[in-house]
Amino acid sequence: MSQRLLSGHEPLDTVLGGGLPANAISLITGRPGSGKTILAQQYAFQNATPERPVIYFSTVSEPLGKIIRFGQGLDFFDRTAIGKSVFYEDLGSTVDEYGLAGVNEQITTAIKERRPGLIVIDSFKALHEFADDYAEFRRFLHELAGRLGAFPTASLWVGEYENAEIGSMAEFAVADAIVELSTARAGSRGFRALEVRKLRGSGFRSGLHAYRLTAAGMRLFPRLADPQADEDYPLSNVRASSGIPALDEMLDDGYWPGASTLVAGPAGSGKTLMGLHFIFNGVRQGEPGVIATLQENTTQLERIVQGFGWSVGERNVEVMYRSPVDIHIDEWAYDLLRTVQRTGARRILIDSLVDLRLAASDETRFREFTYSLVQRFTRQGVSALITLEIPGLFGAERLSGDGVSPLSDNIVLLSYLKDQSSIKRTMSVIKTSASRHDPAIRPFVIGPRGIVLE
Amino acid sequence: MTAFMGTTSGQADRVSQVADRGRGLYSISAVGRMVGLPVATIRTWEDRYELVVPERSASGHRLYSRAQVEQLRFTMDRMAEGLTAADAHRLLAEQIERGLPVSGQPRMGRVLILLAEPDPYAAEYQEYFLKTEGFDVEMAVTGETARKSLRENSPSLAVIELLISGGTGLSLCRHFKDQGVPVVAVSVLEGRDQAIEAGADAFLLKPLDPLRLVSAVRDLLGSSAFLHGAPEASR
Repeated sequence: MSQRLLSGHEPLDTVLGGGLPANAISLITGRPGSGKTILAQQYAFQNATPERPVIYFSTVSEPLGKIIRFGQGLDFFDRTAIGKSVFYEDLGSTVDEYGLAGVNEQITTAIKERRPGLIVIDSFKALHEFADDYAEFRRFLHELAGRLGAFPTASLWVGEYENAEIGSMAEFAVADAIVELSTARAGSRGFRALEVRKLRGSGFRSGLHAYRLTAAGMRLFPRLADPQADEDYPLSNVRASSGIPALDEMLDDGYWPGASTLVAGPAGSGKTLMGLHFIFNGVRQGEPGVIATLQENTTQLERIVQGFGWSVGERNVEVMYRSPVDIHIDEWAYDLLRTVQRTGARRILIDSLVDLRLAASDETRFREFTYSLVQRFTRQGVSALITLEIPGLFGAERLSGDGVSPLSDNIVLLSYLKDQSSIKRTMSVIKTSASRHDPAIRPFVIGPRGIVLE
Repeated sequence: MTAFMGTTSGQADRVSQVADRGRGLYSISAVGRMVGLPVATIRTWEDRYELVVPERSASGHRLYSRAQVEQLRFTMDRMAEGLTAADAHRLLAEQIERGLPVSGQPRMGRVLILLAEPDPYAAEYQEYFLKTEGFDVEMAVTGETARKSLRENSPSLAVIELLISGGTGLSLCRHFKDQGVPVVAVSVLEGRDQAIEAGADAFLLKPLDPLRLVSAVRDLLGSSAFLHGAPEASR
């Protein structure tokens, strides 16, 4: 018998340290519409077998017929399993007629007759109303926990609990695992977030994890937050050209492979173009590259690159465009990591960091996110060029506050220089890790061959 | 069954057993297996004689109490002595009316299992699953009552919770083994080695999977126990 109850969705099981504990009581809490019932049904159909069936008890908050009717719209809902490996039962009329003692009796009878591997009670919180006082509810809870604990079955209790109730209601002390579904804020918009509040006897990934509800059930994007890794990893000694010969000279023959380079500058200063030089230079050398853009879609990007003699349709070039509207940074990151893995990319361009920053819930989360992402690329020997738009046309006052500059190996600053009759673009290398660099401020022009330093 | 219950002296034992006798516990199919009667016959007797009438669960399932199981056994014993079903039920009605104890004799070939289990819920499941497989079950919630039951009822096998009576299950295993009684040790704590060293024949981690429990019991008793019955089990 597995010691974990799996959801059928690997990212969720990963967040739960391998899955919910088997033979244990788990609570799923959240407000109406947060997807508690969908998640409970996901677990039900994932784990149901004729030998170890699932019993899904509805109580009084939602009629059984409604739960089943809406369940039918989900991909995993298997009509043929009903009555064979998934049994829906109504506890509502029992508790109405016989009180909480009747609930314990019906559950015990069901355990004896069906020998379930999983029991769902939806909604558990609604049972509170049937106790005359809190002491009675505690007695009921004690007996139910005893009866469930004496048989090898997992239990999912679903309920609309408020945050304050998590610390005060007795079922939270009884539960071995608590999973909270809520809405978190990222700037002015909200996003669905799952948080593991308690998981006895197991590690889990802390913090808020964004999720979406789809016909396939819950789709979770674990918070990208890798602990600092201390292991060694091999890196090539062959430097990666920036694609701009004069800049390579300033960088002491290009970037170290696996390095992350932040290109910061005001709007229109040439950040994206510098990234494209980097990608297409790699492509010319047979190194696959990924352009992860939140700025231009593929059509717009093709129009831009054609002007410099490139094409996004070239072999070894992959464009990953995502709209910055309604984006989850972790969903985006996992998409990118998968794309890098699929294409075998050695170089990536992320354009731009500002869009990701706006989608992050706060500064701390953003720093943690960028650190983890950059570390993953470094360990794989993938060189990353990341663009960052900064205010101030004629020289940046500071780069701090973006949260990422300390995490970059190299920083290249683009700016404008105003003389009496014109405005020129300039480039300067302000940081390189493990190599020397030329600190000069070099003017450059953008022509048919892209960026050319004067 | 009543005879077994009369032998236990622990107060907790008596309380739990008295409480359980009147409660609906067993489904009709389980009772059929336990007493060796077709389900249709049990239903017919219920309709015809209105004597052994089980309570109904919220969803309408028949739930028979342990006392009702004994009443059915009593009826079958009288029929085995030559009475008709109607006469056997008339006799049963008289016994009940007079407040006389009603108990059926365990049939030859039935095997008595002693459950030394202090957790009432675990004991309830174990008893249910063993009985529905045709075993007779005696329960003890302390080491002392388990030893007494061994002396007085000679069980064919004991299922011993190692944490019984403050964690003295290992010495209980030794005691039963010394008397030649096979032992299945059970515990929520991993204690396989200690249990085997103490004389247990098998160890199962709790919560108990019913199939594993029944399989372990069957394996240890061997099919011959079912075919021929242990002499001590027939009492």
